[in-house]
Amino acid sequence: MSATTLLSGFFRRRWAATAAAGLLIGAVAPAVAGDWLGFHGNDGSGVAQTPIRRTWTADEGIAWKVDLPGRSVASPIVVGDLVVATASSGPKQDQLHIVAVDRETGELRWERIFQATGRTLCHPTSAVAACTPASDGERIVALYSSCDLFCVDLEGRLLWQRNLAVEHPRAGNDVGMGSSPRIIDDAVFVQIDCQGDAFGSAIDLATGDDRWSVTRAKIACWASPLEVDLEGQGTCVLMQNPRGLELRRVGDGTAVWLWEGDVGGIPMAATADGLIYAPTNGVAALDPTAESGRPQWQQPKLSCGISSPVVFGDAVASLNRGGVLVVADAADGSVRKQVRLAGTFWSSPIVVGDTIVAVNMEGTTFVVESSGDYAILAKNELPGSFPSTPAAADGSLYLQSETALWKTAAAE
Amino acid sequence: MRLRERPQSLSAMPTRLQRAVGMAVMLSLPLAGGIRLAESVLGADAPGGVAEAVAAAVRLATAGPTGGQAGLAADADLVAAMEPAMLVPCLAAFAEATPAGVNWLSSGLDRAVEQLGERVPLDELTAFVADAGRPARGRVLAERWLRSRAPEQAAALLDSMLSDPALPLRRAAIEKRLAAVADAAEPEQLAVHREMLTAARDVDQVQAIAAWLREHGDAVDVSEVLGFVKQWRASEAFDNVGGIGFAAVYPPEEAAAAPNVADWKAVTAEGDGGEVDLNAAIGTRKGVVSYAVAEVDMQRGRTAEVRIGSPCAVVVWINGEKVIDREIYHASEAIDQYVGEATFRAGTNTVLVKCCQNEQTESWAADWKFQLRICDPLGTPLGVQP
Repeated sequence: MSATTLLSGFFRRRWAATAAAGLLIGAVAPAVAGDWLGFHGNDGSGVAQTPIRRTWTADEGIAWKVDLPGRSVASPIVVGDLVVATASSGPKQDQLHIVAVDRETGELRWERIFQATGRTLCHPTSAVAACTPASDGERIVALYSSCDLFCVDLEGRLLWQRNLAVEHPRAGNDVGMGSSPRIIDDAVFVQIDCQGDAFGSAIDLATGDDRWSVTRAKIACWASPLEVDLEGQGTCVLMQNPRGLELRRVGDGTAVWLWEGDVGGIPMAATADGLIYAPTNGVAALDPTAESGRPQWQQPKLSCGISSPVVFGDAVASLNRGGVLVVADAADGSVRKQVRLAGTFWSSPIVVGDTIVAVNMEGTTFVVESSGDYAILAKNELPGSFPSTPAAADGSLYLQSETALWKTAAAE
Repeated sequence: MRLRERPQSLSAMPTRLQRAVGMAVMLSLPLAGGIRLAESVLGADAPGGVAEAVAAAVRLATAGPTGGQAGLAADADLVAAMEPAMLVPCLAAFAEATPAGVNWLSSGLDRAVEQLGERVPLDELTAFVADAGRPARGRVLAERWLRSRAPEQAAALLDSMLSDPALPLRRAAIEKRLAAVADAAEPEQLAVHREMLTAARDVDQVQAIAAWLREHGDAVDVSEVLGFVKQWRASEAFDNVGGIGFAAVYPPEEAAAAPNVADWKAVTAEGDGGEVDLNAAIGTRKGVVSYAVAEVDMQRGRTAEVRIGSPCAVVVWINGEKVIDREIYHASEAIDQYVGEATFRAGTNTVLVKCCQNEQTESWAADWKFQLRICDPLGTPLGVQP
C-alpha cells in the first residue's frame, strides 16, 4: 500500500490513503425490506422508510408489550417474523439471554440462555447486554459485555460461539463493553476496544472462525463498526476509537485509510454520499478520497453526546445528552434548526418516514418533523428507563426499556 | 414455532456403549473423561441410544474454544432429539465441561427439554438436583427446568441446600430461609439471619444480610465476614509518570517472596470493603507506584483464589510467584474484581501487591487503593494473619 501522510492545519491530524483509492460510493447494501438487522438499522444509517404512527401511550397505540427475562441496554432487532432482544440476569449478571418473540403477537418463540465466560462487571447505567445483536436475515449474532459472541439460527439453534475473553484473557472493560457487532459480506465484525487486550476481528459467519484479526490501541471505546464501500478498495469496515478512525478492507483487514483526531468514544460515525460524518468536536464531514485529511466541514453545534448522528436526505442530525436536537445541512454543516427536547438521552435518534424519532431515558419518545420547521409533532410516554435506540420496521416502532420491549401499533 | 427436521430417534439406534465411545474416539475427540463418565453413568448394558447421546453430550461438554463448531452443532442436534431416559445421563457430562462446553451442552439440553415437553422426567431430575455430588452446572440447569415445570417440587429441594456447593442453589436456599421467617418474631429472625450470614458466599447477599442485622442491633464486621486481609505494610512511592511503573521492576519485586520491609509503613485496611487506602497511608500522589505486603497463615498447603479489587493497575505475587497483573486504570472497582489462582504453603505466606496510580486529574480518578482476600472457589475466606 502506498500511503501519503499530510498534516492538516490546526486539526493536526494525519491522513493516510492509498493512491489508488477512488470515490466513496453509496454507503452500503440496500436494506432488506421490513427488517431492522442491527444497531441503528440494517446498515447503521438509522433510517427506515415506512412511516409510523405518531402518538401512543402505554394503553393506546401499542401492539404488544413483553417483559424481558433480565436487564438490557441493547436495542432490539427485527428479523423476518421475529423480534430479537438480549438481556442478562442473575446475581452476577452472567446469564446471557437471547429472546425471540413473534413479530405480530409478541408471543415468545424461543429463548436461549448462555453462561458468560468473561467479565460481567459494569457501570450501573450499562448492562452486560449492551451490544445490539445483528442478523443477515438467516442467522443472529449476539455479543455481550463479557465478550461472548453467539451465533444462532432463526430457531435458536446454536451454530457457533466465540468466548473472546477466554481467547484474550485481558479483554474487557468493567465499565461495560458496548460496541455492537456488524455483519458485512458474511462476516461478523467486532471491536473489542479496552485497556487490556484490544482487537478488531472479522469472523466468518458460517463457521465462527477468524478471517482476520488485528490488534487495536489499548483504549476503551463503545462505538460500533460501520460498513463503507470505497471504490478501488472494495467493501471496507470503519472502526473508530477516541484517537481516530480507520478503514480496513473487509476481505483481508488491510488498513486503507487512517484519520487521527479526538473522536467520540461512544457515538458511532455515519456515512452517506461519499462522506464519513465523524463525531469529533461536534460532527466533521470527512472525504476519505481527498488528498487532505482536513474535514470538508466541521460543525461544533452538532454535539453528539453519546448519541450517534443520523444522516437523511440532505441533512445530518445530532442529539446531545441534554436533549438538544440539532439539524444541519449535510453539504456544508450549516445549522438549520436546534430543537430543544427534554430529558437525558442515551439512545440515538433515528429517522422513520418523514419524522425524526428520539427516546429519552425517562421514556418519552419525541416525534419531530424531518424537514420544514422540524416541529415536535408528538411526545409519547411509556413507563421505565429507555437507554436503547429504537428499531423501526414496517410502520412500527420497537421501543426497549431496561426490562421490557414494546411494539407500537400500525400508523393511524 | 417452525420445527427443524428431527433426527432419527436415538432410542431406535441399535448401538452399544462401546460402539458409541469407539466412534467418538475415531473422531479424535477428547473423550478420555467422557468414556469414564459414560461407563460410570451407564454401565455396560446401557441402551445404545443413551450411550450415543452421552457420547455426544461429552463431546459438547469438552468443546475447545474455537474450530469444529459445525460438528458441535450437529452433536447439539443429536442431544436435542433425545428421549427422556437420556436427560439425566447427559447432565452428568457437565462434570468435565469447558467454558465453551457449558454453553454447547446447555443449549442442546435446553432444546431437548423443549422437545420433550410433558415427557421430561421430573422425578429423575429432582433426584439429580438433590445430589450435591453431581456437577453443579448440571444441577443448576436441571433446577431451572424443574422450577418452571414443578415449582413446589423444586422449592422443596432448597431446604437442604444451605451449604450447597452450587452457589446459585445455595443462594436460593438462603433466600427461601430468610423469606420463611419474614413475619416471625424478631429473635427468630435474628437467629436465622445470623445463621444465614455464615452460610452466604455471594458478596451482595452477605452485605444484604449484614445490613439487616445492623438495622436490628448486631455489630457485624462485614470485612471480617468477607475475610479481607487487613494488616499490611506499605512501601515508599516509586515513579509511574507516563505509566512506566507498571512494567518497571523496583526493588520490592526483585525480592517479591521476601521484600525488605524495614522502613515500610504499617497500614490497616478500613471499612466494610477492607480497603487499603494508599492516599491516606502515603499521601495523595499522582504518577506513582507503591507496594504493600502482608503475611497470611494457612493451616495446610493448598491452592486458593486470590481476589483483588482496585481502580488502579495492580500486580499480585504470592510467595514470589506472580498470580495477577492488570494494567487498567480507573475503569471501575469491585470486590473480587480480579481473581487468580495461587499455591499456598502450610504456615506463613507472603502476599505482595503493587498498586499503580496514574496521572488522570478527574475527581473520579483520585482513588489509589485496593482490597484483597483469599478464598476457596465458592468464596469462603481462607487464611489468618499472624
